[in-house]
Amino acid sequence: MTINHHPSDETLMRMAAGALGSGPALVVSVHLEGCAVCRNRMAHFEAVGGAILDEMPPVPLAADLFGRTMERLQVVQQLQTKERSVNKHPELGIELPRAMQDCEVGPWKWLGPGFKWSKVKIPGSPDEKVMLLKGRAGLHLPAHGHTGLEFMQILSGSLADERGRYFPGDLDEAGDDVDHRPVVGQESDCVCLAALEGDTRLHGLLGRLLRPIVGF
Amino acid sequence: MDAASLYIGTGNARQLRPAARLVVLNEARQKAVLPSPEELIGLIDAVARTQDRNAFARLFGYFAPRVKSFLMRSGLEDAAAEEVAQEVMIAVWRKASYFDPGKAGASTWVFTIARNQRIDRLRRTSSRTADNLLDPTDEPDMPPSGEDIAIVAQREEGVRKALESLPIDQLTIVRLSFFAEKPHAEIARELGIPLGTVKSRVRLALNRLRTLLDSDI
Ligand SMILES: [Zn+2]
Repeated sequence: MTINHHPSDETLMRMAAGALGSGPALVVSVHLEGCAVCRNRMAHFEAVGGAILDEMPPVPLAADLFGRTMERLQVVQQLQTKERSVNKHPELGIELPRAMQDCEVGPWKWLGPGFKWSKVKIPGSPDEKVMLLKGRAGLHLPAHGHTGLEFMQILSGSLADERGRYFPGDLDEAGDDVDHRPVVGQESDCVCLAALEGDTRLHGLLGRLLRPIVGF
Repeated sequence: MDAASLYIGTGNARQLRPAARLVVLNEARQKAVLPSPEELIGLIDAVARTQDRNAFARLFGYFAPRVKSFLMRSGLEDAAAEEVAQEVMIAVWRKASYFDPGKAGASTWVFTIARNQRIDRLRRTSSRTADNLLDPTDEPDMPPSGEDIAIVAQREEGVRKALESLPIDQLTIVRLSFFAEKPHAEIARELGIPLGTVKSRVRLALNRLRTLLDSDI
């Protein structure tokens, strides 16, 4: 599978720096799971972090910090292995990516004709605007622009707009320079994971659609 | 003043040059006693294999003061930075067997731990969340090949060279981007330069790094 649409350098650098909100970071994590090219790009940006850490001027520590740390190591329990729970939401009809394993995912809800959504809750980040979206095969979405960044990772099916076609594994990052009229591919329904960044009251299509329903 | 003033390289762009030179000098002076990247990998490996406390003491001596410095520069107060630095070192001990030198260099690995702990601290979430979000694939799998380790070493070296080659104003912006969850607008205010300038410097710096990446893949 060739992936043609990737997160921008800016986005990966922010992710490496820990400066990307957990909603967009979740979408990018799902992309990284399936994209070796971006895993390699990400490794470079994280190495920038490593280089910056190396050049930090060392600051003094409390004299007993090392001793106290050693004491704590005695009592620290073994690192629990991360339990890999199987998909908790079989009714969604799709297999969730591993990066989403800790998320709470709601059932499909009606959003418009041929258009459904499901709320995704990231533990510890209840306010993030993250959702799964499902569009019927052939669905035409209204033309819209964006005021904040919108991250969308295709999980199944396909989507097309003036800029190209998006297949599973592709990540679309749409900013305020993007005005588009997306159409769901004819071959099947399209499911994607989406996150909005910034003030959603100002957001384009998704913000408008979701606001009255979920109070985003 | 705030933790920011502890680290040279902020506030007034005109102070940057001599300050940056000072860092280089300090580094040169310390080089003799600082563990090399290969030694750091060996120390983490010793902790993973035999819970070697002497190896851990050396890792602590190298990383704890730098992690604390990084966290203070990211906006944590002295006491909080020290507390989080301790958590980071405990995580280094506990996760040593997960470290894969075929994926990242030692300092890069410790950076990602510190970054995740900082996220948890600032967002008040549990470390499981940040860990899962950022390292969905961090499971110990196959032992790394010598080739993987060499590729990582080359990458770390290449990234350092690329950073060194950045003009100081671009390097400053890249640094600031790593220190905190600061939007570019805030960085612009802090440096007293227009937002457009910050954005174009980020773009220039990323283009530089991209050149490196492209030659690397
Ligand atoms: Zn990619």
